[in-house]
Amino acid sequence: MDSSNLCSCTEPLAMATVPMQEWCEPYDFTAALAEGTIFPCLNLTFYKAPEKKCTCKPCSNTSNASQKNREEMMSELSAVSFALNDLTLYLDTHPDCPDGTALFYRLLEQRLKLLSEFADKFYPLTQISMITGNFEQNKYGWPEGPMPWEGACI
Amino acid sequence: MFAYEKRLQFPVKIKNTNPDIARLIMSQYGGPDGELSASMRYLSQRYSMPVKKVGGLLTDIGTEELNHMEIICAMVYQLTRDLSEADVKKAGFDAYYIDHTKGIWPQAAAGVPFTSLEFQSKGDAITDLFENLAAEQKARTVYENLLRVIDDPDVTAPLKFLRAREIVHFQRFGEALEMTKDTLNSKNFYHFNPEFDKKMNSSL
Repeated sequence: MDSSNLCSCTEPLAMATVPMQEWCEPYDFTAALAEGTIFPCLNLTFYKAPEKKCTCKPCSNTSNASQKNREEMMSELSAVSFALNDLTLYLDTHPDCPDGTALFYRLLEQRLKLLSEFADKFYPLTQISMITGNFEQNKYGWPEGPMPWEGACI
Repeated sequence: MFAYEKRLQFPVKIKNTNPDIARLIMSQYGGPDGELSASMRYLSQRYSMPVKKVGGLLTDIGTEELNHMEIICAMVYQLTRDLSEADVKKAGFDAYYIDHTKGIWPQAAAGVPFTSLEFQSKGDAITDLFENLAAEQKARTVYENLLRVIDDPDVTAPLKFLRAREIVHFQRFGEALEMTKDTLNSKNFYHFNPEFDKKMNSSL
């Protein structure tokens, strides 16, 4: 039955609507990782959550310079990679956004560079990064480094 | 296919052993609104999604939920790795210890084992997207409940991150719902099932 003559509803009933997000200038990537999104307009905080940045900076008890460097580089890689994760979901629903697309390619490039450098200096995080930089290729190499759940404070 | 990257999406570096907190956080591994359930929900639903971009979004969010599952497990592991015999006796971790020692196993905070009944894949795009919107809200509530009872900053930092992701995912599923609605007749979104009655949908 055509219901249009029976009532004068203009909006569809029995359906929910979520507004499409508009592009907003992202946080710097280190702040974005601590907040859980690169988009200030989606950062809807909870009053009991800690406001200050977390303690997820380099392990304070380390005196080993190599570990310190490793952790600083890992922090940078985490921030860039997370920005890429969050941006990817945005682009999945906004594939025609030019600002987002430009940032996407910039982040991909930064991530590739950091992954290669990390493999060269410390140990490989992905198998592809074992051939994109100067990783020593006369050994297997993939099992090197701590497992991520160990916390890397070891 | 999935390939491993040897790092956590958000760093977990917990210094203090705390089996009580571990037992609570474990719910976000194997509980009703946990990350395992989230990942299996999206990765199961994606195959039959009628809008291709929505299937892509489900793949990307389902993959991110695997990262979150790993963060939760790393937290439980680090909170219990130095557990002493005295800790086991005095803390609320004793029942878990009897069955699993310090092994990581998916269960809810109250001990109910993980089950696929905790998520749905219904074969109807509208229904499944509402399931996902609700799931993100339920997980947000759990993270807020955890943030209310936990003080250790090493633990609250990843919890805060994970809570924020629930809100972002809710927004994306809302946008996926809009994209799916755009392919249907707004006079009656329920005239047919866009996943089953494919011939009825000329815009796909």
